[in-house]
Amino acid sequence: MIQVKDLKKSYGEHQVLKGITTEIHEREVVCVIGPSGSGKSTFLRCLNLLEEVTSGKVIINGFDLTDPKTDINQVRTNVGMVFQQFELFPHKRVIENITLAPIHVRKVSQEQAEKKALQLLQKVGLEEKAQAYPEELSGGQKQRVAIARALAMEPKVMLFDEPTSALDPEMVGEVLAVMKELAQEGMTMVVVTHEMGFAREVADRVFFIDEGLILEEGTPEQVFTSPKHERTQVFLSKVL
Amino acid sequence: MSIDWSVVIEYKDFFIRGFITTIELTIVGIGFGLLIGLILGLMQISGKAYLKIPARIYVDLFRGTPLLLQVLAIHFAVIPTICEEILQITPPSALFSGFVALSLNAGAYISEIFRGGIESIEKGQMEAARSLGMNYAQAMRLVILPQAFKRMLPPLGNEFIALLKDSSLVTVIAVNDITYAAFTTAKSTFERMGPYITAAVMYLIITLILSRVVFYLEKHFTPQTRKK
Ligand SMILES: Nc1ncnc2c1ncn2[C@@H]1O[C@H](COP(=O)(O)OP(=O)(O)O)[C@@H](O)[C@H]1O
Ligand SMILES: [Mg+2]
Repeated sequence: MIQVKDLKKSYGEHQVLKGITTEIHEREVVCVIGPSGSGKSTFLRCLNLLEEVTSGKVIINGFDLTDPKTDINQVRTNVGMVFQQFELFPHKRVIENITLAPIHVRKVSQEQAEKKALQLLQKVGLEEKAQAYPEELSGGQKQRVAIARALAMEPKVMLFDEPTSALDPEMVGEVLAVMKELAQEGMTMVVVTHEMGFAREVADRVFFIDEGLILEEGTPEQVFTSPKHERTQVFLSKVL
Repeated sequence: MSIDWSVVIEYKDFFIRGFITTIELTIVGIGFGLLIGLILGLMQISGKAYLKIPARIYVDLFRGTPLLLQVLAIHFAVIPTICEEILQITPPSALFSGFVALSLNAGAYISEIFRGGIESIEKGQMEAARSLGMNYAQAMRLVILPQAFKRMLPPLGNEFIALLKDSSLVTVIAVNDITYAAFTTAKSTFERMGPYITAAVMYLIITLILSRVVFYLEKHFTPQTRKK
């Protein structure tokens, strides 16, 4: 589903990703952990080309994102993204947030888009907020709407960049619950997170990224219980 | 001191003509100013040097020189040159020159408002829109500009009022606007106060209407929940 080959990314002189090679399979849930500034977000953002790739290849669903001939907008419709800061559109009602891209990008009729949006809102438990504006929602509700918005494009992969880091502790659970449900339905997911409990429970594989490289990867069991690298051990001892 | 209002009555057609012309100048200036401003603003944030540099030069040129000079140069030099030497037609009226000068000038100022407004929207909004598969133009039109426009309204309102007042400069190329009506009436009748007071009142009326329109738009672009 996702193939990454020797992915490198630099900002000027500063090399952030130093050659990442990996493969993520359909229906797989990968959690990405690692210290702050190690390149986790950058890695995730390269997977839908929000960051320009310096060198290497990213292939999603057979489309090579680094090939200039690839229609990146088309590829992005297959890759949903959820941001730490939610990034709902504040001038649009909840339901419009969800229908905007299906209507304008997928050219779905408004009626159909709204029907689908209500189903998704029901799924994330926020049907009654359809007509609200984002500013009327709590952080956890915003993030659930953001997930619904991404799902409305019927993506094949969902990317999450620290989806619960901006939330008050009591709201983390409701967002993780939605993500867990999604994982159980077989969605392919790449989740950058500091929620080790979630990673342990939901992930099929865990990547430990450090200084721009996947230093260690394996099942949650392998990574959390018997990490091979000293740096992984040090990191885990701080966060667990 | 007594004010002889009869001259104003006597020259009322002149003043009405001026009132209409000033409104025309303002509306055309706002309309084309917005269009030019939007294009220049988008050029400036495009990140592409071949778009940014010409836009920057344009803005600096029009903001860095007096409008009065621009009006004179456009009417007596630029338009005649283009018309006579390139298009080989007779130059259009002074009013046309006024439209051109005000629109070009307003465009420069408005582009800065657009640029500031667009840049004030968090980067994440564009990223969220793009991550949903929208192209740059869709993201701008559906997500960024509507939000930016709301933030741009107060400075745009100020710009519109400045434009209205600056439109009086076209008096120097004998466009019959409000100021021209006052100046000419006062000069030819030797009545000192009446014509100028009339002109001032006329400008004030338009200013008030403009501010009301901007105020209404600001309310209109605020979501229901924030309407208290
Ligand atoms: N737009 C940018 N310009 C320059 N440096 C950046 C930019 N974005 C990220 N970086 C740098 O890249 C490194 C990795 O950042 P990031 O991927 O956000 O880390 P993480 O998500 O793991 O905390 C950091 O050192 C950060 O300063
Ligand atoms: Mg990050």
